[in-house]
Amino acid sequence: MLQKQEKVLLLRTFRGRTLRIVREHYLRACVPCHSPLCARPAACSHDGKLLSSDLTHYVIPDWKVVQDYLEIFEFPELKGIIFMQTACQAVQHQRGRRQYNKLRSLLRDARHDCILFANEFQELCYLPRERGEALEKWQTRSIYKAAVWYYHHCGDRVPIVMVTEDAEAIQKYGSETQGVFVISFKDYLDNFWPDLKAAHELCESILQSRRERESESQESHGREYSEHLPLEVLEAGIKSGRYVQGTLNVNKHRAQTEAFVRLQGASSKDSGLTSDILIHGTKARNRAIHGDVVVVELLPKGEWKGRTGALCDNDSEDKTSSEAPSEPMPTGRVVGILQKNWRDYVVTFPSKEEVQSQGRNPQKILVTPWDYRIPKIRISTQQAETLQDFRVIVRIDSWESTSVYPNGHFVCVLGRIGDLEGEIATILVENSISVVPFSEAQLCEMPVNTPEKPWKVSPEEERKRRDLRRTHLVFSIDPKGCEDVDDALSVRTLNNGNLELGVHIADVTHFVALNSYTDVEARTRATTYYLADRRYDMLPSVLSADLCSLLGGVDSSNKTLADSLDKAEDPSDPIVNQLLRSMATQAMSNALYFSTGSCTEKEFHHYGLALDKYTHFTSPIRRYSDIVVHRLLMAAISKDKKMEIKENLLSNKDLEELCRHINNRNRAAQHSQKQSTELFQCMYFKDKDPDTEERCISDGVIYSIRTNGVLVFIPRFGIKGAAYLKNKDGLVMCCGPDSRLEWKPGSLQRFQDKITSTTTGGESLTLHLFDHVTVRISVQASRCHADTIGLEIISSKPYRVQSSELSHLSPLVLKSELVRDVTRCAEEAQLAQEGQVDGIREEYQEYRQTKGRSLYVLLEEIRDLALLDVSGDYGI
Amino acid sequence: MAGLELLSDQGYRVDGRRAGELRKIQARMGVFAQADGSAYIEQGNTKALAVVYGPHEIRGSRSRALPDRALVNCQYSSATFSTGERKRRPHGDRKSCEMGLQLRQTFEAAILTQLHPRSQIDIYVQVLQADGGTYAACVNAATLAVLDAGIPMRDFVCACSAGFVDGTALADLSHVEEAAGGPQLALALLPASGQIALLEMDARLHEDHLECVLEAAAQAARDVHTLLDRVVRQHVHEASILLGD
Repeated sequence: MLQKQEKVLLLRTFRGRTLRIVREHYLRACVPCHSPLCARPAACSHDGKLLSSDLTHYVIPDWKVVQDYLEIFEFPELKGIIFMQTACQAVQHQRGRRQYNKLRSLLRDARHDCILFANEFQELCYLPRERGEALEKWQTRSIYKAAVWYYHHCGDRVPIVMVTEDAEAIQKYGSETQGVFVISFKDYLDNFWPDLKAAHELCESILQSRRERESESQESHGREYSEHLPLEVLEAGIKSGRYVQGTLNVNKHRAQTEAFVRLQGASSKDSGLTSDILIHGTKARNRAIHGDVVVVELLPKGEWKGRTGALCDNDSEDKTSSEAPSEPMPTGRVVGILQKNWRDYVVTFPSKEEVQSQGRNPQKILVTPWDYRIPKIRISTQQAETLQDFRVIVRIDSWESTSVYPNGHFVCVLGRIGDLEGEIATILVENSISVVPFSEAQLCEMPVNTPEKPWKVSPEEERKRRDLRRTHLVFSIDPKGCEDVDDALSVRTLNNGNLELGVHIADVTHFVALNSYTDVEARTRATTYYLADRRYDMLPSVLSADLCSLLGGVDSSNKTLADSLDKAEDPSDPIVNQLLRSMATQAMSNALYFSTGSCTEKEFHHYGLALDKYTHFTSPIRRYSDIVVHRLLMAAISKDKKMEIKENLLSNKDLEELCRHINNRNRAAQHSQKQSTELFQCMYFKDKDPDTEERCISDGVIYSIRTNGVLVFIPRFGIKGAAYLKNKDGLVMCCGPDSRLEWKPGSLQRFQDKITSTTTGGESLTLHLFDHVTVRISVQASRCHADTIGLEIISSKPYRVQSSELSHLSPLVLKSELVRDVTRCAEEAQLAQEGQVDGIREEYQEYRQTKGRSLYVLLEEIRDLALLDVSGDYGI
Repeated sequence: MAGLELLSDQGYRVDGRRAGELRKIQARMGVFAQADGSAYIEQGNTKALAVVYGPHEIRGSRSRALPDRALVNCQYSSATFSTGERKRRPHGDRKSCEMGLQLRQTFEAAILTQLHPRSQIDIYVQVLQADGGTYAACVNAATLAVLDAGIPMRDFVCACSAGFVDGTALADLSHVEEAAGGPQLALALLPASGQIALLEMDARLHEDHLECVLEAAAQAARDVHTLLDRVVRQHVHEASILLGD
């Protein structure tokens, strides 16, 4: 059945000698072609996904096209893509693991209409490489031959377009076979997808950034950074303990200077280091970006530095603070990067004035990422001017040691700066949350539930499950208006007088089969994302909102919640209580999911709840982890009942991987929720003048003391922020007449639980922890980043005027009001904008005038001016 | 470090085989006239030659003779040109000694040694090209050689290796797959009875996976048996034609 071939490889050994290696290569007659038009479907034995059957053509990218334009093939509009194995291997060998994994996940993703054809294992497609033939030529030749075979295999019914960047190949193969077209990638986009503007733009920007890189590599500048060490040296160094491996975390507030390396795994034990390692300055960071796995060399103890404890803004770049830093901590420098965790970054192009001041090359533009922790990225594009009012996604391509900033290319536009939708999209992208609507294929798996045809439990399912609807009193404890009700309680008196409390949870796994399209989607989402004004569901709404309200399967025992925090109380001040609690939980690190197979039973405990073992399964609609637990429970039950287990359970390794993913997604969900709340707070206060508006002045509680200021919590709006007691000019805050505060020269002194400012005039002001003060809320607008709330203490007395009036409103109500207010504003703004556009359009239709100011208008204005002048003359 | 992908998402191995498929096996019996039995086998690019002498009187010191059964003496060597980088000495190193010992254990279990008390059977195996699975190739070659010598055996001894990559058991590892450093198991099976003559594994493998790897190796060994059986029948057929007239 198999046909043996021999492949001769010439490999270069480490010592530089060439080694002749013979490897076997087996060919077979039947390689799955994954096409619905396959002539012999029985022989091809397709499993996995097929291409759609309604395509006008198939497209086969050449190896070079796959390497360079893979991102464009990620557009869901492009369909019927056949990746040849030869091209995939070229990506694997020449572009590294990151891009290859991208390609693999693209192939695995059921939503993308693309497949891999293993052409090198097909007996009629395989071409041995000829003696002296260049690898590139052979790859193109193989791909073309496979394309021709594929065309005939599908019965000559679907034309095939092979896209290549090799002009020679276009000329040679272009008209060789009827039905197989060989064209360049640019022509392909122009001819087949003239309307897909985003793809054209992306293609353009990739091209340009590549050209730039080529020209740059020719002219060699001076070294900006030291070279990374080769991988073998790094691995040996880690093993011997000379280097340490860890994840780089950049300090958000001092992105230019401070970064920390969190140690990973065994390396922390060996080196005897207890804390993180400080990386001071960008030189020592050596081109590593936040989130990368790096290898660090420790500096000698004499060069160790301490971290700074003062509050500061991000704007001040590289400013040496006069504050004495705390005691030195282990400090190191990055010598190599093991794994680059680059993702899509949201950036803002500089405004026109800034571009001009950057000078030199107008096509190379430094853009500022939204995330403070990411360095500026150099983009070469001609669209800079049109993009400057937008939030834009870019990707980093490379970071040479000769360049201060990394090179990247522009990918797509998210939305206008300051626009609610645009900003929310920014938050989603920054947290790597993708929330495309559920696809057709996923929705097809869902049960039908329409008003005409309501969904019912099938009789055989009904027999398998215990029906408590008539025998028990069942009720829900979720608040009114809650849409995803997935748990309910039941209560009844038992014969012996005890009460039985049952907790019932919707059986989501009944609808979501393992590895179905919905399951894959839910796994990637991992959780439902709640933002301040909206939510993105993990499962299609037919499940989360309609059907899974209580099918009730498994009775669970009662859960006890440990509430050890109740003891910390201060009866006089409820707000301080609230603060104490939130701070106590904040100090703990977040609980994480893990697979019980991956650590010993001693490590199972949940610190926050003070329990030895803890898991949850009460919200399978919005947590994927609960779906996993449900599947395990179902497997356990069916094992008890001696039924065969239907589904294959995940192995420990897969579970570990999944847990890491879920933890990561949960963190993203928390961040996005927090960031969207902050966004709404900022938008609420944005158009209010802090000096006149009453709402901008509020009561606040000091909850932390820093060297140059305090952190304040405002219970009315739920805002936390920093308030300075010493400003940039070195003036300190002190008590003026009628307890108003003003800035004067002086000094600050910080104690454990209070901070004192003393002016040169001898006046002093002391603020204690948990003091109530009056603060003024203002918005510090920022073009490139998220706006922030700024707080200024204007009086050391509590702000009491409105408190009696407001006391009946809970903070929750205020918060939702805030959200409503902002959403309304955004909608109005959008309507107004649309109205404007409509107006212009009408005019355009009527008079056939160009958009905007025409010459006619201009002349008309000049005439008006002339008349004025004349009348003025008469006046004299 | 773009490591080689031993098993692709589509289920292909580096050389194009699927997980359970063997490499191409070609074998011949009776390649030398002066030996009592001999055979040559190619399993993919692994090539091995086996020669059997005996049963004959004990050579050397008589004290080694066993009163109730025959002594099986195995020697393994591999040609200096068999590996990618040239070897210094063809035999006598630690690895060769161990391999000889393993072969001996395997064949003591398979040959009906009690039929030839106080005598000796010599099995010499030489590997001409090593491309993974040398033990298996040696056992299979030696089986054919022993059969060629007409020494009574319980059954064929068929050997095959198996590895474990990404949750899947791979049968008959090639050199590339062996060099990747995953767990590797060598199994010698008596196919008719399903008895195991030798089982060896050096690397760590979780207990849960052992069964599936073992099953993959056993299945591969049974496949090898079918092929070897065909070779033997072919040989006997040819021999009978030559002798018959």
